[in-house]
Amino acid sequence: MKRLRWFTPLLVCALLLTLVIGVSAQDAPKSVVTGLHMVGGDLPTIDPHIAETSASIEVVNQIFIGLTNQDATTANMEMGLAESMDVSEDGKTFTFHLMQNVPWVRYNPDTDAVEEVTDENGNVRYVNAQDVVAGIQRALAPETASPYAYVPVPYIVGAAEYNSGDGSWEDVAVKALDDFTVEITSPDAVSFAPSIYGLWVLRPVPTWAVEEGGDSWTEVEYINTNGPYALKEWAHDESITLIKNPFWPGTDAIPQAKIDEVVFRFLDPQQQFAEYLAGTMDAVQVPLEEIERVKADATLSQEYVVGNQPCTYYIGFDNTEAPMDNAHLRLAFSAAIDRQSIVDNVTRGGQIPAQWFARPGLTAAPTLETHPDLGIKYDPERAKAELALALEELGLSSVDELPPLTLSYNDSSNHGAIMQAIQQMWTENLGITVTLTAMEPSTYFSSISEDAPIIYRAGWCQDYSDANNFDYDVLYSKSSQNDPGWNNPEYDALVEQARLESDVEVRRELYAQAEDILVNQGAGIAPIYWYTINFLIKPHIEYPPSVTGNEAYFEWDVQ
Amino acid sequence: MGKFITRRILWMFMVLFVISIITFLLMRNVPGGPFTREKKLPEATIKLLNEKYNLDAPVIEQYLDYVGDIIVPRVVTGKLRPSSAEDYLISIPLSGSGDEQKTLQWVNFGPTYKSRSRSVNDIFRENLPVSFQLGVAALMIAIAIGVPLGTLAALKRNTIFDYMGMGTAILGVSFPVIITAPVLQYLFGVQWGLVPVTGWGSVEYAIIPAFALGFLHAALIARLTRASLLQVLNEDYIRTARAKGLAERTVIVGHALKNSLIPVVTILGPLLAALVTGTFVVETIFGIPGMGRYFVTSITGRDYPVIMGTILMYAFLLVIVNLLVDIAYMWLDPRIRFD
Repeated sequence: MKRLRWFTPLLVCALLLTLVIGVSAQDAPKSVVTGLHMVGGDLPTIDPHIAETSASIEVVNQIFIGLTNQDATTANMEMGLAESMDVSEDGKTFTFHLMQNVPWVRYNPDTDAVEEVTDENGNVRYVNAQDVVAGIQRALAPETASPYAYVPVPYIVGAAEYNSGDGSWEDVAVKALDDFTVEITSPDAVSFAPSIYGLWVLRPVPTWAVEEGGDSWTEVEYINTNGPYALKEWAHDESITLIKNPFWPGTDAIPQAKIDEVVFRFLDPQQQFAEYLAGTMDAVQVPLEEIERVKADATLSQEYVVGNQPCTYYIGFDNTEAPMDNAHLRLAFSAAIDRQSIVDNVTRGGQIPAQWFARPGLTAAPTLETHPDLGIKYDPERAKAELALALEELGLSSVDELPPLTLSYNDSSNHGAIMQAIQQMWTENLGITVTLTAMEPSTYFSSISEDAPIIYRAGWCQDYSDANNFDYDVLYSKSSQNDPGWNNPEYDALVEQARLESDVEVRRELYAQAEDILVNQGAGIAPIYWYTINFLIKPHIEYPPSVTGNEAYFEWDVQ
Repeated sequence: MGKFITRRILWMFMVLFVISIITFLLMRNVPGGPFTREKKLPEATIKLLNEKYNLDAPVIEQYLDYVGDIIVPRVVTGKLRPSSAEDYLISIPLSGSGDEQKTLQWVNFGPTYKSRSRSVNDIFRENLPVSFQLGVAALMIAIAIGVPLGTLAALKRNTIFDYMGMGTAILGVSFPVIITAPVLQYLFGVQWGLVPVTGWGSVEYAIIPAFALGFLHAALIARLTRASLLQVLNEDYIRTARAKGLAERTVIVGHALKNSLIPVVTILGPLLAALVTGTFVVETIFGIPGMGRYFVTSITGRDYPVIMGTILMYAFLLVIVNLLVDIAYMWLDPRIRFD
């Protein structure tokens, strides 16, 4: 009995303690630890004007907002810093009316809080039209040597001359009409120009911080940002930590962040996966080798998410060199590839067999719903028939008389396995055995830009979400990215017309016609599959699925 | 002794000079460049980037600029703006202030093309200490396990101790770190949760990586120690020592072991240089922000200044530790003289 006398108060104390801990746990900041779409090492940069890898862009997207924004769940354009936009009658001049209540902010390590940035007079600095114009000027300035400025350059009058150092900034058609109005003029009436003006590479940056910090302005001690998150810490070669910016006004398109802290750890997928298993990371990439294991595991398969990535994997042919200058031969090679088998047996990450080049989901790109039969599909009979036609045109009696052919690829990721599968399909369906040549990546890419190998592996990911970025920017006859040397006047006319058309459905139809010429009739390239991203996400995270390959962490929540 | 060290240091500069020329020529003649991308950059953009980093100048001029920035000290006037292109290891304020501020600057290993906000010196400053800590810890483990294991095996030759010890050593040598590291990581980090899986910071982060790295070398050291000690134990002077009536302990520790360590010390030098500059595999597997990764990524990324910086630093350390090894010989075996 004596013992029970102190037992009761102890029990009460314990209960109270549990309650206190329980309450304080509820108040604990919400945080997410995640990886980036990269291997380990350091993040190259978070300077919007220099960023070129998807990992850099993903961080930039959380801390700097542009005039417009691409919605991660729909890939559609929405308003960013601008609250509205007017288009002139000729469709070439775009006037953006900015929100007036977006302050520049920085993280203060002494108070462990995000604070608004003030100018010399102590007034809060709000993002204004001058900041937007100065940002575009810095992005295009030749001294900046921005690796991505070439993407927006064709959509701003005078930008090409200024960027190459031949023109002056005065002649670039980017003007601040007043403190919160920006006007940009494009040389052509291009309906998707506003989504280009919102690209990361044209975003406003704090010019005063750039001036003070020099090349180091992206470090925590100098940086000012304007997005829903602010930079809290950048431990080089280890991680980046973002903290919620409570001063972001929050719009329908870009709400205030719900998660207080997002930590990006710079780890290889294998290491991210190990951390995930140990319960120390919340969202990670699935390493290629582990996909089967994840799918077979009772718990992991529930947390496995396959997301779209706006990229197309393809085989390029040198259209200008014999014998691949023969369209029938190219078509025979393309039709002999069993794409379904590649995604089912080799890549196994839920990739979609590609029937054409411009990945569905891009604005104005054909989709499998609108055009189920468009493009190229695996058809061994057709491949044999096309091969016979090709041999006849080439004046050869059998495939043995063809010159030896080589399929080149960069020796990284699982390209080798995919190439072996394709090699085998060609042997089986056409009786042609190509030689595989694996090359060190940098050597390989430089060889492609000098002179494309006769048959080679390639991939293309979106810069901006529009079919134009695939069909025009890559395979238009005069494009600098046109490595296969694809040159078809009918195709050129269609993509030129689609570029200047404003009705999305009309554009989609034009791109469908162009794609039919590109991958079916002419077989300039052989599309293989449309990319996906394979994730593991802990069940306590509320995750709106992204279709753009980039994540919008300000839309995420933690239960 | 002094003459010997001076001569060796002069030689070091010759060696570094030759290495720098060979590296510079080799890396410039490998296809691809720092701005080669899967999604290729337009000619005009590459031209701007080449201009920014002075890569359009004649190669000889670039080499001289590079070497000049490292060895020639300079005094600059004016307020210093943080810039990766003007990042010096040694920066001493001389006189004046504000715009009149004079600063002595020395040793600039150049920018890294991969990151605008960092320089090769930043990488040295931030990543080398991490690799150094890990490397020294691994070496300590290697010696602490290797030498006693080898000694025990030699003294108890052809007994169960010998077989067990050498069996362990053969296992250690046969399993590359690329296998042991993930297994240890999975068991201790993921399965049992005893240590963090990846990362760097407090001691607990270092235990498994240092052990994974050290164990392999422990095995090597154990085998060397055993072989060398066995040989020394047959020497006449050991018999003399025993005949004098010295305690067995004194014979082994004072006479035999000291002399038998010469081969061990010989490999410890290069091993130290290799370990403290970081190891690609262990740093990658454990997500450690060290130098090792840069030896590999700088070459795949054609990041010229980082290639030069890492190779020169490694060469410099190798020369220095080999000098220390030679000095250690003289202490271990007074018969060895270099001058």
